[in-house]
Amino acid sequence: MTTPNKTPPGADPKQLERTGTVREIGSQAVWSLSSCKPGFGVDQLRDDNLETYWQSDGSQPHLVNIQFRRKTTVKTLCIYADYKSDESYTPSKISVRVGNNFHNLQEVRQLELVEPSGWIHVPLTDTHKKPIRTFMIQIAVLANHQNGRDTHMRQIKVYTPVEESSIGKFPRCTTIDFMMYRSIR
Amino acid sequence: MTVLQEPVQAAIWQALNHYAYRDAVFLAERLYAEVHSEEALFLLATCYYRSGKAYKAYRLLKGHSCTTPQCKYLLAKCCVDLSKLAEGEQILSGGVLNKQKSHDDIVTEFGDSACFTLSLLGHVYCKTDRLAKGSECYQKSLSLNPFLWSPFESLCEIGEKPDPDQTFKLTSLQNFSSCLPNTCTTLVSNHNISHRQPETVLMETPQDTIELNRINLESSNAKYSSLNTDSSMSYIDSAVISPDAVPLGSGTAILSKQAQNKPKTGRSLLGGPAALSPLTPSFGILPLETPSPGDGSYLQNYTNSTSVIDVPSTGAPSKKAVTRISQAGTKSVFSQSGNSREVTPILVAQTQSSGPQTSTTPQVLSPTIAAPPNSLPRRSSRLFTSDSSTTKENSKKLKMKFPPKIANRKTKSKTNKGGITQPNINDSLEITKLDSSIISEGKISTVAPQIQAFTLQKAAAEGLMSLLRDMGKGYLALCSYNCKEAINILSHLPSHHYNTGWVLCQIGRAYFELAEYMQAERIFSEVRRIENYRVEGMEIYSTTLWHLQKDVALSVLSKDLTDMDKNSPEAWCAAGNCFSLQREHDIAIKFFQRAIQVDPNYAYAYTLLGHEFVLTEELDKALACFRNAIRVNPRHYNAWYGLGMIYYKQEKFSLAEMHFQKALDINPQSSVLLCHIGVVQHALKKSEKALDTLNKAINIDPKNPLCKFHRASVLFANEKYKSALQELEELKQIVPKESLVYFLIGKVYKKLGQTHLALMNFSWAMDLDPKGANNQIKEAIDKRYLPDDEEPITQEEQISECYPYESVGTDESQESSMTDADDTQLHAVESDEF
Repeated sequence: MTTPNKTPPGADPKQLERTGTVREIGSQAVWSLSSCKPGFGVDQLRDDNLETYWQSDGSQPHLVNIQFRRKTTVKTLCIYADYKSDESYTPSKISVRVGNNFHNLQEVRQLELVEPSGWIHVPLTDTHKKPIRTFMIQIAVLANHQNGRDTHMRQIKVYTPVEESSIGKFPRCTTIDFMMYRSIR
Repeated sequence: MTVLQEPVQAAIWQALNHYAYRDAVFLAERLYAEVHSEEALFLLATCYYRSGKAYKAYRLLKGHSCTTPQCKYLLAKCCVDLSKLAEGEQILSGGVLNKQKSHDDIVTEFGDSACFTLSLLGHVYCKTDRLAKGSECYQKSLSLNPFLWSPFESLCEIGEKPDPDQTFKLTSLQNFSSCLPNTCTTLVSNHNISHRQPETVLMETPQDTIELNRINLESSNAKYSSLNTDSSMSYIDSAVISPDAVPLGSGTAILSKQAQNKPKTGRSLLGGPAALSPLTPSFGILPLETPSPGDGSYLQNYTNSTSVIDVPSTGAPSKKAVTRISQAGTKSVFSQSGNSREVTPILVAQTQSSGPQTSTTPQVLSPTIAAPPNSLPRRSSRLFTSDSSTTKENSKKLKMKFPPKIANRKTKSKTNKGGITQPNINDSLEITKLDSSIISEGKISTVAPQIQAFTLQKAAAEGLMSLLRDMGKGYLALCSYNCKEAINILSHLPSHHYNTGWVLCQIGRAYFELAEYMQAERIFSEVRRIENYRVEGMEIYSTTLWHLQKDVALSVLSKDLTDMDKNSPEAWCAAGNCFSLQREHDIAIKFFQRAIQVDPNYAYAYTLLGHEFVLTEELDKALACFRNAIRVNPRHYNAWYGLGMIYYKQEKFSLAEMHFQKALDINPQSSVLLCHIGVVQHALKKSEKALDTLNKAINIDPKNPLCKFHRASVLFANEKYKSALQELEELKQIVPKESLVYFLIGKVYKKLGQTHLALMNFSWAMDLDPKGANNQIKEAIDKRYLPDDEEPITQEEQISECYPYESVGTDESQESSMTDADDTQLHAVESDEF
């Protein structure tokens, strides 16, 4: 459901990290791109720097493939897109697909962006409303603003929920009194 | 030849004593080039080692034959420092494959340094997994020298239970004296103790000096030796001999000569500080002596020495001299510093006065008993330079004092630092002591002061022993994880010992092991206040702060430690803990790896790294780390716990239980461990046992809320809802702000069918969850799927239906940062409901 309003920016994912509920696991995955301009590749996509970006160099759809070594629980995807700096390179329609490998990907989310100006949080949940468990995520840029051919993507982060409760299948404790006794360090 | 060496050696030792290593090394290299003797080799190697270049000493000694025990000991020490354990062992005891020497062989070979040799050997055995042999070596080392603390500590750490009462006692004077520097034994045994003319004495000096030098070198670690069994007096370091103590034997003569010259030499030639080292004066004296018999053109500088030599009359009764020594010594001791074990027990060993006694023993002033080697300098300076400044310096340094046992000392201490002056002895000595300078004219020849001084010394040693016994008991209790007892014992130490870094750190660690982190934090901050240069034990402090989540304090600590000492693993562990608390696990991992690089034998760094890997879900790496920690220290129960946790996460419950049990065997009083075992047992469906274990945990530590919580959850799983509720109500009182408690209460009520109360509690749980991070609670209310609950979703649906606005409200407030994409989803959810 697209609203005619511009897509509002989400919170900085760093804040999410500080809650201790999620953990960035992009480093545990193998990243690949369908195409890129030299000097504007995976490193620029994963360097924690919003100034650098990935620029695709092929035909649509442009793909970002994230492959994990093992089946991983993914809670949220965070994408940074900025219409003001990227103009026609800014993606407008993104499809998120998950699966075991390239051949059995299934779309789980489709996003429409209208002049985004910051972080976009994409929660990934399955039919039971739990974070999905998957081997592979593919982010496909289906269309850009102003019908641009290539796309810029500045940063992508992948988050997994943290099971903080050290013992027992309980949610995390909130008070220090409990947390002190939670584990031996 | 030796004549050539003496001034050079004296200069080298002087440089060493002033930590002027460049000078010392240079001179030693020249000496060695000149004279390729083993002595010179040893001296050069010592210079290298002391200047921190163990590898140089190692290569030097390896390249040349080392037959003397001191060279062998130094080479072995270098090997151990460079982690060449097999080689070190080979040198000390013949190696693993060859026939090994027995401990007695080692004792006879190394003589005075046997206790240190055995301690080093014990260390090698323990590091190479031969704990039985290692502990044997440590025991033997302790029996030879009860003043050594590190073998005792190592024994406690490997899990043995040495008895402090048996270990720290002065069993016989034989032992007692064998701990003290042995300077005259060889000489005395060699020479017939008879009165001799000073001329002869002087003539014999050159040969004897060599021997004496060697003895001095060997005994540089400040050990005392008893001279004669029948005399039952202890000897003082030769360097400290009174000038007038003309020994009856040639050996003693030499010593006395040395002593004679010493004050002069000390003052005139080498200056006050030069008298600091017992060795320096002896070296320094010799050149003074040798020219008198004749040659030594190079000794022209020391012309004043001749006068010195003449002064002490040959026939001067040694008794007199001794008296004077004792008085002089005690004068400086009692009058000036008056306290400190080192000062007071200046023992004057004297058999009887002059001549006729053939069994007299040379008189040597004994440095204070149980003084560590580095205190030797101070001792002698005190004796000979009655410089108040030095004595003050000494007394300040001497924290060790007579234990409360010697009551009158303490009560009547006039001087600062808990002075231990025996007024009676003081008075008597002061009466008897001469006011004259140390040089000659001693008249009082009473045996009484010396004997009193001797008893003083003995009492001082007893005092130290008593202190060590108490501290040993405390440390033993701590290593066996009887933390409460350890705290008790250590708290009863005298306050000036209590308020030192080591003791407070042990107490802090004891509180840490009891999981009383607040107390531990208090104690550790006290340590930081009084001894901010202390890094040992700070890793425990950093973990305490981590548990208490005091990020500012932890960050300050880690910055301070890393600024202070980048080569200590404790500093990097603190830094890693700091970042781990900030949830920057990658950086924390980096710092823990740095700690491991800095010291690969530091078990705790591995453990902490393992915990970080667990947090980043890299369980294989974590397993490897914990195993490494156990390899380094098999009694590191935290690592066993870590392994158990990993197996629990992987749902290998029986393995988990086994590892937790191993950890518990090492540390039986940890309620957290028991709690974990209980939960694992419950997971293994052994609920009865689980409840027992949890009960035990609660008994040990009633303040641990998690034990009660888990007991409640076990009861809940066993459908004993009433008792579970009761437990949880109690828990609510103890920790009113814990959302988990309300969550569980909510679940219990749900099971009991009281959905009203259930939902109320769930809401409370949600409210208390500040970051809205608790998915399960949210799920319990609005996602309509409770993970632990196998019931159909209908109940949740009903609950959500009843309070749709509420769930939507909470959702929106917490997910405000989401984009409209999420709103879309939310609306979709809502639309499903209706």
